[in-house]
Amino acid sequence: MNLLEPFTIPYMQRALVEVLVLGALAGAVGVLVVLRRLAFVGDALTHTVFPGVVIAHLLGRSLLLGALAFGVLTAVLLTGLGSHRRVGDDAALAILLTSFFSLGVVLISRTRGFTADLTAFLFGRVLAVDRTDLLQTLAVAAVAAIVLALLHKELVLRAFDPEATAAMGYRTRALDLVLNLLIALVVVAAVEAVGTVLVIALIVVPAAAARLLADRVAAMTALACLFGATGGWLGLAVSYEVSVDHDIRLAAGATIVVVLVGLFLLAAALAPLRRRPGRVAGASG
Amino acid sequence: MAPDPTPTPAPPVLALRRATVAYERDPVVEGVDGEVAAGQSVALIGPNGAGKSTLIRAVLGLVPLTSGTIQVLGRSPQGARRQVAYVPQADTLDAEFPVSAFQVVLMGRYPRVGWVRRPGAADRRVAGRALAEVGLAERASARFGTLSGGQRQRVLLARAIAQEPRLLLLDEPFNGVDALSQDLLLAALRRLRAGGAAVVMATHDLGLAHLACDEVCLLNRHQIGFGPIGTTLTPELLGATYGGQALQLRGDGVIVARP
Repeated sequence: MNLLEPFTIPYMQRALVEVLVLGALAGAVGVLVVLRRLAFVGDALTHTVFPGVVIAHLLGRSLLLGALAFGVLTAVLLTGLGSHRRVGDDAALAILLTSFFSLGVVLISRTRGFTADLTAFLFGRVLAVDRTDLLQTLAVAAVAAIVLALLHKELVLRAFDPEATAAMGYRTRALDLVLNLLIALVVVAAVEAVGTVLVIALIVVPAAAARLLADRVAAMTALACLFGATGGWLGLAVSYEVSVDHDIRLAAGATIVVVLVGLFLLAAALAPLRRRPGRVAGASG
Repeated sequence: MAPDPTPTPAPPVLALRRATVAYERDPVVEGVDGEVAAGQSVALIGPNGAGKSTLIRAVLGLVPLTSGTIQVLGRSPQGARRQVAYVPQADTLDAEFPVSAFQVVLMGRYPRVGWVRRPGAADRRVAGRALAEVGLAERASARFGTLSGGQRQRVLLARAIAQEPRLLLLDEPFNGVDALSQDLLLAALRRLRAGGAAVVMATHDLGLAHLACDEVCLLNRHQIGFGPIGTTLTPELLGATYGGQALQLRGDGVIVARP
């Protein structure tokens, strides 16, 4: 099996650029998601962008713009509803997730041949990514990366110590909105490639694996980006090789997720080796 | 940030006037009156649920007052936040969070560093000195969660020191803290006060209140007493604070028997 050879084909090259960018970005944002234990927020967002995708499809507009509109809407509603004392974050999530997703299902079931479309929305079609799709993904990813870089120290502070963050004068709800918007941007950027169901794996799995191996946020972020990009590349290459050489059709998006989970298991196996009691530095001093 | 119109006398660091906080009509803490001057230290004493943490949150400007006023350096709590540092209880933080002790202390510089920019060499020097102040210079690169409870509490005090505050608020800083850490915390607090900072700490430990503070505010949902520790920690007022449970005074030490 040659893991580089498939990428001599133009559509595989586009797919590779797409998953490398998405993997690295989702890994970096995923670090904050994992540290804040917000995996369920990511999961909710993957479902709430769905009606946006469907509406855009029905109107013949860019799927990414439709997803973007609903992603931003969810991030705002989530931050607002979650701050209501009697609703709370978990109930707000469940309400938004189910109502938006069912809206999407209702809308798409009114179109002809909707099963094929539905499959594409849920699981993506990374091999069909064209030049325009790729440029759109790169633009969304660039915006997300810039926001993340500019506000990284405040987002980490808020993740570590929300009470002291507020005491220092930061508006924690505004920081929460920024993070929810970042998650929304990743979901939006990834929705065409890997579909709404699998994005959450791209966000959570590399960061969770990195957390097992890293003692610093910076190292965890570097590892999560590396795992995300590696998973994207290996997943694509493996799905292509298996499909072509062995005539077993492997969906690219799903293969990427399987590879990511493999990397996570590897990290889980390696983690105990670096946490031996003897390695606790300065225990005697 | 308007300049003070009257240069003398300087406003007290903290001034409370009939300060009352309520959650949905139920008063949590009522009628707190008092002043804290530069270099002074006040212990907030009272049973669990007395409103100590709520009062601290009100001084931080994190919960609104339903009546009365709180002024910090002559300004609203929100307007004075740059001059105020808060030390939470160490065990409320995620011990698995991937940060070093030094990085936690450096967080105290973030409000001064500002948005977008990264802490510079000067900020790192201040953070390093603050960590040395609490006796943890050698543990700078240890992950926060690998430190003992007392060491974590010292790291959080160092973060507050790095903020260079004029008012320091602490929530039960001696809970679960070993004797060495307790001595180092007390010494660091003394130096902060000598440098002109005012200190307010919630505690249920009357012995430590005697060691760390010269004033006391007795609370049980409303203010029972506020004044010099020697004259305010009387059996009568303590009895009123703790609901008449048995207590003894022995020299400087006070023992309150709780159920």
